[in-house]
Amino acid sequence: MIRVALIGNPNVGKTVIFNHLTGARQYVGNWPGVTVEKKVGRCTHRGVEMEVVDLPGVYSLTARSPDELIARDYIVEEKPDVVVDIVDASNLERNLYLTLLLLELEANVVVALNMMDVAASEGYEVDAGMLSKLLGVPVVPCVATRGEGIEALKDAIVDAATRKERRRVAFGFGDEIEDAIKRVEAVLSRSGSEELSRYPLRWLAIKLLEGDERVEALVSKFV
Amino acid sequence: MEEIRRIREELSKKLGEDLEVLLPARRYETAGEISRRCLRRREERLTLTDMLDHVFLHRALGIPIFLALMYAVFQFAYSVSEPFMVMLEAAFGWLGSLAGEAETPLASLWADGICGGLGFVLVFIFPIFFLFFALAILEDSGYLPRAAFVMDRLMYRLGLHGRSFIPLLLGFGCNLPAIMATRVIDDERDRLITILVNPLMSCSARLPVYVLLAGAFFGAYAGAAIFSMYVLGIALAILMALLFRKTIPQLRGKPAPFILELPPYLRPTLRSVLLKTWQRGVVFLKKAATILFAGALALWALSSFPWGAPLEATYAGMLGHALEPLLRPLGFDWMAAVALFFGFLAKEIVVETFGILYGVAGEEEIQAAVAAHMTPVTAFAFMAFTLIYLPCLATFGIIRAETGSWKWTLFAVAYELALAYAVAATIVAFGSIVWG
Amino acid sequence: MERRLSELRPGERGVVVRVVGERRLRRRILDMGIVSGTEVEVVRVAPLGDPVEFRLKGYELSLRRDEAENVIVRIHAGEGFGGGGSEGGS
Repeated sequence: MIRVALIGNPNVGKTVIFNHLTGARQYVGNWPGVTVEKKVGRCTHRGVEMEVVDLPGVYSLTARSPDELIARDYIVEEKPDVVVDIVDASNLERNLYLTLLLLELEANVVVALNMMDVAASEGYEVDAGMLSKLLGVPVVPCVATRGEGIEALKDAIVDAATRKERRRVAFGFGDEIEDAIKRVEAVLSRSGSEELSRYPLRWLAIKLLEGDERVEALVSKFV
Repeated sequence: MEEIRRIREELSKKLGEDLEVLLPARRYETAGEISRRCLRRREERLTLTDMLDHVFLHRALGIPIFLALMYAVFQFAYSVSEPFMVMLEAAFGWLGSLAGEAETPLASLWADGICGGLGFVLVFIFPIFFLFFALAILEDSGYLPRAAFVMDRLMYRLGLHGRSFIPLLLGFGCNLPAIMATRVIDDERDRLITILVNPLMSCSARLPVYVLLAGAFFGAYAGAAIFSMYVLGIALAILMALLFRKTIPQLRGKPAPFILELPPYLRPTLRSVLLKTWQRGVVFLKKAATILFAGALALWALSSFPWGAPLEATYAGMLGHALEPLLRPLGFDWMAAVALFFGFLAKEIVVETFGILYGVAGEEEIQAAVAAHMTPVTAFAFMAFTLIYLPCLATFGIIRAETGSWKWTLFAVAYELALAYAVAATIVAFGSIVWG
Repeated sequence: MERRLSELRPGERGVVVRVVGERRLRRRILDMGIVSGTEVEVVRVAPLGDPVEFRLKGYELSLRRDEAENVIVRIHAGEGFGGGGSEGGS
């Protein structure tokens, strides 16, 4: 069975896609210790069983709101096989911010480029192929409200889960910052901590530079 | 760690900017560049969303439209469900009568306990499902953030968030779906406060009690007396919200910042609306309906045993007598205590209980009997007490489910009891000064 | 000329220069795309005078004046400061 997490900004049609993927096979619970709703569903595609977790709608992945923390902890700690990032095609730039954060986390991202109809009605033409090339991850155009693109999305999820090699595109922050990232990475590797090696090194370094309290607390135990 | 901090400070000094600001900005530069390379704008269009927002967020029209929409939601939920409720009640009445006259404990358990209880629980289902349906449409259409935008200023003044308005308003119908509707509030503290004060919004189940007492005592001023209960509820809710915010450490602080996207309007799909309605309806069935049914059975047992005794001699009557000394200062006798005790199941039951206790039936007869047992001041205090004293059993269950905490649930019960007592005592004291 | 975003009137635009204020709030504002170099337009004010609706990066966002106060903008785009924070203070 492959484990899939759905993530995206609020208002991008995430619930609709979740419902399409899982149909009636879903149950609702709560995330441990908090009153935020947790929805989990299952489906089988091409003989592969998937468990789909609907993460809270978030704009970012800082450690400062319960929703963002739930989403981030799930991806960091539970390491789902595939993370489906639902992107609103009519609001590309802001949605891609979250995509970039997911790529920093080195998640196995598949982008569902939703609301293609809304983008078109606003006069936009979105080049999904170009987006896939620039991000280095599969991009599936969808109109979830009409069920379009859902089968292709399932294909892409199964492909991504079974694919051995992944092309990684690292988005740079400019020379000075990149240099600092390298130096922090070096400090971290020197610690030789097994606990820390569970996390992507570059992500730890970026979060430390950003002053992320949770990562600081984690790392200060070992460094 | 020291070394990492040094690297960070060195770099931020060199770049003249906090890295916590700089890194998001750089990400947005990348996101902007990618989106520019993937997007082609064929034409500039005035979108439907722009046009709709000109109307829905209009300076003069925005609030009237919001209120009209909410009125429509109420009408839909409570009027459309009315015929279903009547049919259901009739069906359970008939089922209950199958066991014949309720002369044996078993027949009574079937007729009054099980059928009465089930019918009572199921009657809730229609308005609640219809309400969830209407709310799901508003939610899926993208209107809810607009409602928060329009009402935020008012709510902020009261120490709450724009998103708190709809749940509070829904409380006038029924506190139960209203408390479930607080899920749209992101901030945990804002949400808790909205849940805690929600039972003070006078739900429709309390209206029959007001009508009975106001009709019996206040004649031409009955309408004003009833209206004053709604105003009292709102005033207390505001006061409590401000008080909780000031005094309870877990709730202290300013309301959450208002950083809210106004997404494009979308046409809701039936599938998604029905699914949402169903999912929330199931929560109601699981968390509230079971507790309600158990409560109905317990009350049946309390008021039926010892078997064959008059109500005064049943366990419920004994309880009323036991509670009487506590309520005496407010001018309530043991029968009022029993009525209030039963009112915990659902507040409209208070009216029925008076009827049973006085051994009369029919609105006017009950009014006459009540008028013989209370003074106008006591009656007014009783109305206020009914408004405040406890969330009903179903609301109690949903507060537990939505806060996920017994502590907050019991706190809601405790503060409401104390507040009800204080307000009723104030009314009685004030009344006795004015009217001697 | 630099002004606070909360001081702009409907129809006016500004380019974000910096975001100040308490850390947590500042981060939330930044995460929404209000970063240096972003052009922000005031769309309308809510019926009761607050919050305010803004348009940026092709979407609509509303903030209370209390929040918008923390955003410093430069009126008049096109002075060559639109390229982000890197030209800043090194």
